[in-house]
Amino acid sequence: MAMQIVMDHNGDTRHHFDPNDADALAKAERRFKELTGQGFTAAVRIASGEVAKISSFNPTAEETLFFPRLIGG
Amino acid sequence: MFLFPRLPATRRLRCEALRELYRSYRSENTCEARGLRLLREWLSPCQREQFDAQGHFDVIGCDSGKKYRIHCGTAMNVHEIDEAGGVKLGLCFAPKGALAMGDVMLAQKIALETFERRALAVANRCLIVDLQLRSNAGRAGRTGR
Repeated sequence: MAMQIVMDHNGDTRHHFDPNDADALAKAERRFKELTGQGFTAAVRIASGEVAKISSFNPTAEETLFFPRLIGG
Repeated sequence: MFLFPRLPATRRLRCEALRELYRSYRSENTCEARGLRLLREWLSPCQREQFDAQGHFDVIGCDSGKKYRIHCGTAMNVHEIDEAGGVKLGLCFAPKGALAMGDVMLAQKIALETFERRALAVANRCLIVDLQLRSNAGRAGRTGR
């Protein structure tokens, strides 16, 4: 199972999906586009502790993390 | 620019309290606890070890190669570290919205490691003044008279 983790005021919301299921994959891709369209940053882990920002949906990523746009404090 | 005093003893106590809080969070299911667990999962082994031991962790900026230290907190908790290991500058930036502390720290780590320049462009800066150094310098000045 793959997972999309969205940071929000509840902590984080996790969306699990089967990457071998075409419908689930399409839904995950729609979610990716919606969130990045709203200004969320998407990141994946590429090695132990190493992270990469992604700008297009990666269907092979086991975990994709989304966090809201950065602002100055 | 703002001046924020740094009190080493106070900071040490605060870090100890935060570390204790962090340990207790690890077994809970609150959003703060989940945030800290998520942060821990996404840290490199080195950063995780540092965070467990000291309550903060270092990241290297992807564009400049500069070192930053991310402390527990959601505001004014990122410090640029100079070559001597001293605090050079405080930075304040965070993801929009009320997020858990661990989530904010994780977003700050990812931002500095993957799009440092853009993160710094939105960050507010503050000077961190080491009051202990200042008072020692003052004492040295007085005794030297």
